[in-house]
Amino acid sequence: MTTPRLDPPARVLVTKIGLDGHDRGSRIVAAFLRDAGMDVIYTPPWQSIGAVVKLATEEDVDAIGVSSLATDHLIVPNLLEALRAAGLAHIGVVVGGIVPDDERPGLLQAGVSAILGPGASRDEIIEHVAAIAAKSRQARDADFEESAR
Amino acid sequence: MSSPDISPALAALIDRLRRSDMRALARCITLTEQGGPVSDRLHRSIYPLTGRAAIVGFSGPPGAGKSTLIDAFIGVLRAHGRTVAVAAVDPSSPISGGSVLGDRVRMQRHTDDPGVFIRSIASRGHLGGLSESIHRIVDLMDAAGRDFVVVETVGAGQSEVEVVEVADVCVVVNAPNLGDDIQAIKAGILEIADVLVVNKADLPLAGRTTDQLKTMLKLRRDNQDVPVIETVATTGTGVAELAAAIEARAGKTAAEKRAGRAKRIQRLVAQLAGRRVRDSVLRLTSAEAAAAFACAQEGRISIAEAADKVLRTVLREQASGS
Amino acid sequence: MTKEAVQLPLPGFDQACGQWRAEYSRQIGVDRVVKNRSGIEIKPLYTPRDWSEAAYDSDLAFPGQYPFTRGVYPTMHRGRTWTQRQLIGLGAPEDYNARVHQILAAGATAISFLPCNSGFRGVDCDEVDPVLLGTCGTVANTTDDMDVALKGVPLGEISTAMNDPSPFTLLAFTLGVAKRRGVPWSSISGTSNQSDYLSHFIANHMFLRLSLSGSRRVLLDHIEFCLKRTPNWNPVSVVGQHMQQAGATPAETVGFTLSTALQYAEDCVARGMDIDAVLRRFTFFFDISISFFEEIAKFRAARRIWARLARERLGAKNPASWRFKFHGQTSGVDLTRQQPLNNIARVAVQAMAGIVSGLQSMHTDAYDEAVATPTEETARIAIATQNILREEAHLCDVIDPLAGSFYVETLTDQMEAEILAVIAKIDAAGGMFKATEAGLVQTMIGESALGFQEKIESGEQKIVGVNCFQSNGEDRPGKPTERPDLERMKAHVERFKEYKAQRSQDEVRRALDALARAANSPGDNVYERVVEAAERGVTHGEIVSCLRKELGFGHPLVIA
Repeated sequence: MTTPRLDPPARVLVTKIGLDGHDRGSRIVAAFLRDAGMDVIYTPPWQSIGAVVKLATEEDVDAIGVSSLATDHLIVPNLLEALRAAGLAHIGVVVGGIVPDDERPGLLQAGVSAILGPGASRDEIIEHVAAIAAKSRQARDADFEESAR
Repeated sequence: MSSPDISPALAALIDRLRRSDMRALARCITLTEQGGPVSDRLHRSIYPLTGRAAIVGFSGPPGAGKSTLIDAFIGVLRAHGRTVAVAAVDPSSPISGGSVLGDRVRMQRHTDDPGVFIRSIASRGHLGGLSESIHRIVDLMDAAGRDFVVVETVGAGQSEVEVVEVADVCVVVNAPNLGDDIQAIKAGILEIADVLVVNKADLPLAGRTTDQLKTMLKLRRDNQDVPVIETVATTGTGVAELAAAIEARAGKTAAEKRAGRAKRIQRLVAQLAGRRVRDSVLRLTSAEAAAAFACAQEGRISIAEAADKVLRTVLREQASGS
Repeated sequence: MTKEAVQLPLPGFDQACGQWRAEYSRQIGVDRVVKNRSGIEIKPLYTPRDWSEAAYDSDLAFPGQYPFTRGVYPTMHRGRTWTQRQLIGLGAPEDYNARVHQILAAGATAISFLPCNSGFRGVDCDEVDPVLLGTCGTVANTTDDMDVALKGVPLGEISTAMNDPSPFTLLAFTLGVAKRRGVPWSSISGTSNQSDYLSHFIANHMFLRLSLSGSRRVLLDHIEFCLKRTPNWNPVSVVGQHMQQAGATPAETVGFTLSTALQYAEDCVARGMDIDAVLRRFTFFFDISISFFEEIAKFRAARRIWARLARERLGAKNPASWRFKFHGQTSGVDLTRQQPLNNIARVAVQAMAGIVSGLQSMHTDAYDEAVATPTEETARIAIATQNILREEAHLCDVIDPLAGSFYVETLTDQMEAEILAVIAKIDAAGGMFKATEAGLVQTMIGESALGFQEKIESGEQKIVGVNCFQSNGEDRPGKPTERPDLERMKAHVERFKEYKAQRSQDEVRRALDALARAANSPGDNVYERVVEAAERGVTHGEIVSCLRKELGFGHPLVIA
């Protein structure tokens, strides 16, 4: 891992919004991230956007990984909007799973950091999440100069 | 709230905390986990704001259904219009240091309720030392104006005892189907429990577990009234009774709460002091210490006598600054 | 002309075998250990020393004879080919109707119904963001919807599989439609394809609507109702698919599934039902992975084990009760998003394994299944695959063609041992219901899933196009994604709202009250009230919501 480990460890939310319920992939990603030394807050599928925002607030997460199969990626922009409205725009959001080619640009434009498909290796996933988590933490702490350790 | 070493940013954060801003609470908890001088300053500042919340600790072996029970308990509190904050402690992987914090997802009823704040805490392999961090987090939740603060840990070992000692009311949750019936007695947790629960009471062996716990309670040195309450968390059976038992024991006056907190601090200081002494004893290299260990090994002196000897050595070394 | 039975092993056998082994070792270079997905070591060669026909009578017998290893019926596919039952579901009820007529015109005699994800979640179409409606299945929340969906479909003559979990509202709507058309319920045939709540709780939370205990109650009521009122309907389909898709090995999948079947059978008997009446209406639903020989051995072993369990452990007397009948669906998790046309080859291999295994009905996935609901073209190819295997490869000419293969018979025995070990583990945990509640099954599956993923990560398991033989990404067809028309879905939602407003609110309330009362009276049949409520115009979401309230919401056990 080229991004140095954060201390305290990166806090990453792994979740699913929308209607799809296949969570084999998100469980495996949660295990990968844990084994890379991160603290993962893992939720079952069908989280409402309000619940995700609340969770991200309370747990002060550094990154959010949304696992999406079927068409749930279509409401990810709604999640990004809700995060912005709650003052959480600094949190990096990455989408994992299956997104049809013609719908990827829209997601990236809405603010998703990347779309990691089924071909993404474990190391790629860990590296990307670590990178966006580090960036989020920096952004969050920038306005709070005393927290530099 | 102004003080020379509190930056404007920290002061603003504390102000938002006092106004029960949950985002501020979350940030303060993160600062506490980061530790260091900022965390110390934060806690000095908020101490005057603490003392209002009722603090309830839940512990017990894995598989007892604690999270589901807490979920139901929170439901009762919310029905009574009380606000809640939960500190859910999950074990970290000893290998990677990371963790999957899955406790809060068992409290699915409250995912949209702003009156319930849940924070997951990785134990990070500390078997000791976590209690001070939890104590500070509880203070923050208290300062943020929550009526009830719930601390949940998994297990019934010494570290869990230390953590739930933070609480005004210690609830220990058992279940009848966990193989070894009474795991709770292993670490003296029975000594500190204020309420005992037998969850999954719909299982056939529940009655036997309840009886065994009642018998064991008779061995306690104090004769405090410790109820053993049977619950079925998944259906809600017994939860109202549990909530009433907890509220009865948590409803303390401000003076009682201060006294409780004083005792808690005393215990925390004793815990930390104890760990320091322990570390020092294990680091002893003098011939005198070696002799004491050897004598104890050979049975020429008792363990207690050896402990007295090495303690004297440690204190002497501390005094002479070596 | 038959040859005389040859005495095996042949004289000189050992010498020849030794010679082969020596030459093999010399030439092979690095001889790595090969294990199949179930963890069984696979040798390079199998001989009469591994398996002999001595066990033919007891372990194999003939097709249609106990223990049915070679097939549940005497004629198998040579007599009657497997039922082609492709899952369909998309958009609004009219869209489903259009697709189903295409399929019937192409000669299908069996259809299936896949509801929209919103339906799986137990809500009506007006409760979710319209952009999510109808993308993976058909929206059907009322008897009227089902009437539109099945317009012109000869209900009493074809078999319908409803991909619908507890409380089985889709069947209730269908029965309502049948009543309107004067089709007797006794002629309605099909299967409640997703009645296996334990598999949902364990491995596909998508389908979990009610609590474990609530689902248990509704399933038993459903079975009782169907045995009496819809005798040609299979109320129980025990599903292995979800667990294998979630990462269980093939042997684990069969072990868990048969344990589930035992649990349901025992629950029925405890209710006072007759075991033979019940087992006759049990079917199984499995997926077929691309581990070709392993799947064939798996299903042959499953037939044998189930026959013995049904007869000896459950005490069923009727041979019809001992038959392991199953529907197979080609495995979606074996398909890749990269180089999607490769999936046509994958599905063909999976389908071959299914046919040779002796399945009773089959669904073949479209090659773009990983990305979206099949288009007409991709659905056509999926069916063509089956037709080619039948008509051109002549896979139906011989029953159980791989029987007697030293490898396949050895592997069948080994799979049987693995499966029985899993069943024993579940027994030790107190049966499938308890093991599921305790999370034991989920944990085992999670470990297998992680293990398999690690094999892919390390490259030990190669997946063409993913971790080997990759192309530079230009191979993906750039076709636009097919989605239901958003305006049409919104219009459907508006019509649905109007429908609700125009109903007799009193009737609806009475029906829901009756449903709630039945849920709280253990002696009542909840499913009968579901069917009545459907007739009275109550919606899917209202029925599910009522039962969730009375019997408990289905929260899965989260094993982090």
